[in-house]
Amino acid sequence: MSTACYFTFPTTYNALRAEKVLKETPYSYRMVPVPRSISSSCGTALKCSCPEIEEIKGLLIDANVEYEEIHELEEKQNNFSLKALFKKGKDKDGIE
Amino acid sequence: MESNSKILYLDNAATSWPKPENVYKAAENYMRYLSGNPGRSGSSSLEAERFLYNAREKVASFFQVKDPSRIVFCYNATDALNTALKGLLEPGDHVIYTAMEHNSVLRPLGRLRREGIITTTMVPCNYEGDIDLDFLEQSFQSNTRLVVFTQASNICGKILPYKEIVELTYKNGALSLMDAAQAAGSIPINASEVDLMVFTGHKSLMGPPGTGGLYVSEDIDLKPWREGGTGSHSDLDHQPPNMPERLEAGTNNGPGIAGLVEGINFIEKTGIYQIHEHENKLTSHLLEGLSDISGIKLFTPQNPSERVSVVSFLLEGVDPGELGDVLESVFGIISRTGLHCAPLAHQALGTYPAGTVRLSPGYFNTIQDIDYVIHALQEIVSLKL
Repeated sequence: MSTACYFTFPTTYNALRAEKVLKETPYSYRMVPVPRSISSSCGTALKCSCPEIEEIKGLLIDANVEYEEIHELEEKQNNFSLKALFKKGKDKDGIE
Repeated sequence: MESNSKILYLDNAATSWPKPENVYKAAENYMRYLSGNPGRSGSSSLEAERFLYNAREKVASFFQVKDPSRIVFCYNATDALNTALKGLLEPGDHVIYTAMEHNSVLRPLGRLRREGIITTTMVPCNYEGDIDLDFLEQSFQSNTRLVVFTQASNICGKILPYKEIVELTYKNGALSLMDAAQAAGSIPINASEVDLMVFTGHKSLMGPPGTGGLYVSEDIDLKPWREGGTGSHSDLDHQPPNMPERLEAGTNNGPGIAGLVEGINFIEKTGIYQIHEHENKLTSHLLEGLSDISGIKLFTPQNPSERVSVVSFLLEGVDPGELGDVLESVFGIISRTGLHCAPLAHQALGTYPAGTVRLSPGYFNTIQDIDYVIHALQEIVSLKL
């Protein structure tokens, strides 16, 4: 079962700071609405690849970006996954 | 002279006009293409939030502030001043302000004082707009929390000695709040030299009305004055603790902020010193021309380093309101007359209650514009219109 990792943030301001930090790097990421199984102060999360989580965490800490938590979630494979219904949703970074 | 259809706008101290072309375009583009609600989830609102983030960075860097999250967008300078004063002051606090302050400072302070929440001391100014620094030094009390001062007078254009004011304030353990409404965009400002700084977008920053903001230093936690949706911490029944959301509630003025960014871009591209120099040239020329006309009394410093581009004057024996009316109806010259929302400053200058006529050239005015005004006033005096 594949998984994806999510950073949550106290504010959208911090989520966007994270985005700005990662923009300059080769890491794959996407800004997404927070999945409903996670609780977060701000509605936008940073979705990234789990094997890269430590490096990304280090970059955010170095840049003083405040984040709340990191979650590892299973990618839904059931019939109710909208993403599975719309396979075109895959973006250029390879993060669904 | 016959009445004509010429319009010569010389009320830039009230609001600058015209705006750089990109200011108009940016406000329109925002509404057409970027109208998601910042901070609320969804990719269109994320785009709007990215835009707001960059705008905040732009404003922060313009005012030499390192941490953009300490810049709060407000709806104008009045809104920002209310956010600062009502968010900071607590029962028992003493506040010092100057006679040059605008009603956007005087009225919030007045209410807090009348309700018995704070006490205040006003630092007087002389008829040339100089504030009494010795009086300021003697005004500090053990409970003095804040010194609030305008960086430049909206009436006589006088730049206050803010470095001295801030130094005295720190020495006495109080906080400084600088109202830069009249100066921001016209002279360089380093907001991090004070604790709180207020700016407006629609004057010298050349942005649209309905924009402005507040710089809050990292050591200060203001109580939110306006509360509501932020798109974050939506489960809480109070404002989140994090800046800038803590002090920004409700949908912001996106089109206005888009225009403001282009106003700042214009200033950066043109050069703030270039702008200041051009405005200085116009103001000096105007002061020179007016001082040659008999019966005109000027209330603006002759020395360019002591003023922004604001000229107040009176014509002996003529009501300033009537003079403004003749300037506009006969010559098409837009001035601003009366008290300019700063009654104490007019008392200090000796021009209360009738006020003055104020002419405020902007970057888009020319020497020919100023010559036209001087000729108009010469004609008024010679014909006793």
